[in-house]
Amino acid sequence: MKLELGYIQMKDIQFSKECKVENGTLYVNPDQVIDFLYQDDDVKDWVKSFTLDIARPGESVRITPVKDVIEPRVKVEGPGGMFPGVIAKVDTVGSGKTHVLRGMAIVTAGKIVGFQEGIIDMTGPGADYTPFSKLLNLVVVAEPKDGYQDHKHEYEHAVRIAGLRAASFIGELGRNLTPDDTQSFETYGVKEGIEKLPNLPRVAYVHMLQSQGLLHDTYVYGVDAKRTLTTILNPTETMDGAILSGNCVSACDKNTTYHHQNNPVVAELFAAHGKTLNYVCNIITNENVYLADKQRSSDWTAKLCRLLDLDGAIVSQEGFGNPDTDLIMNTKKIEQQGVKTTIITDEYAGQDGKSQSLADAVVTGGNANQVIILPKLDKIIGMLDYVDVIAGGHAGSLREDGSIEAELQVITGATNEMGFNTLSAR
Amino acid sequence: MVKEIERAGIPVVHMCTVTPISMTVGANRIVPTIAIPHPLGNPALSPEEEKTIRRKLVSRALEALSTEVEDQTIFEA
Repeated sequence: MKLELGYIQMKDIQFSKECKVENGTLYVNPDQVIDFLYQDDDVKDWVKSFTLDIARPGESVRITPVKDVIEPRVKVEGPGGMFPGVIAKVDTVGSGKTHVLRGMAIVTAGKIVGFQEGIIDMTGPGADYTPFSKLLNLVVVAEPKDGYQDHKHEYEHAVRIAGLRAASFIGELGRNLTPDDTQSFETYGVKEGIEKLPNLPRVAYVHMLQSQGLLHDTYVYGVDAKRTLTTILNPTETMDGAILSGNCVSACDKNTTYHHQNNPVVAELFAAHGKTLNYVCNIITNENVYLADKQRSSDWTAKLCRLLDLDGAIVSQEGFGNPDTDLIMNTKKIEQQGVKTTIITDEYAGQDGKSQSLADAVVTGGNANQVIILPKLDKIIGMLDYVDVIAGGHAGSLREDGSIEAELQVITGATNEMGFNTLSAR
Repeated sequence: MVKEIERAGIPVVHMCTVTPISMTVGANRIVPTIAIPHPLGNPALSPEEEKTIRRKLVSRALEALSTEVEDQTIFEA
């Protein structure tokens, strides 16, 4: 399957009377976007109001509580559309051409679960720890209708849909533009791959999806991942929004939709594809809370690795705690099939970093317990109500002078377990 | 906690969902439970059905507690 991505480099976002992209500037009429969001019945039922705001790199702006980050894209050739099974119809995506508005993102923010959303600082020490400080962010702040506390799943769904609708609305503005740069990605069928690259090791990416439930969820073509069996995707499908975040969980190591669209493991494997290895496919598997599910899913992961005659697999985790069990079960069983593995995870090694790590041979995304001080910034998009109770914060995290003392856990994307951010250890 | 209580001479049954973790940390008597967010219940069931499974789990735990073990043992249903 072959996909061409056409990148349209964005240089600024401005509010305007009309919506268009011109010479790298996105002009947005907030009312038009909000009208489009409200055309969905679930959004209408649960969201009282939306506010749109712009946060640019280097500005003294703190966005919190952050729910999701999404890159605007549009499918211009080939079957299907962006976010299949949720926004577009469920046709298989990942072939043809897709335009990407590079350098910007839609960020959804506002209260949902409160303690399980994150912080994006656009300047200062906090900005160094999140990749999203380097993007032009169009922030959609949602305010729930009264009574949402008893209907958090419905409200989360509404905000998730609103974010994806905003991203597809903005992405659509890039349909008729000429990309600044294009890049092609192609993987082969099993036999075709062996014939074309007979001497290269066969490698797949085992992509673990957060699916613990209770608002820790991921969606694949619109299906809740906790109700899926371990299966195979063409890597290019992920670039067309086949995997979406529905996660309200520790900010530092949750995979936002942006991470799924721009998965660095996929990018690295494509970079090596045909040179040092044969990138066979992605294997997606879940992280459920029943032991029988963990056994079944990890058995199936190992079974598929064997069926595909792999030589090696890269395994990435999402979240921490009981998904550590899934990670090790997957890895052990894959290795028992004679397939070499490397895992990518992060660490909760205590504030001093001295606690034991998970395994001997891992790539780490950093220590989520590391303490950080975030100075007061001039502007807040969203609200500071949850800083004391956010996962990684503590009573008194928000200090009288407006600064914040907390663990890295609070920062969206800080210790990402796909290796998207820059933290690691040797 | 399981190990410390046993060190004091009191036998312990560890009721938990992810039994591989319980094995790794060294519990001797292990009773598998329902799910991580609700180990001793199941919100999908009626209150009557839930009471039945709770009673079964506690009975199994008590039985495990009074069973001599040579090695780490999982008391499956």
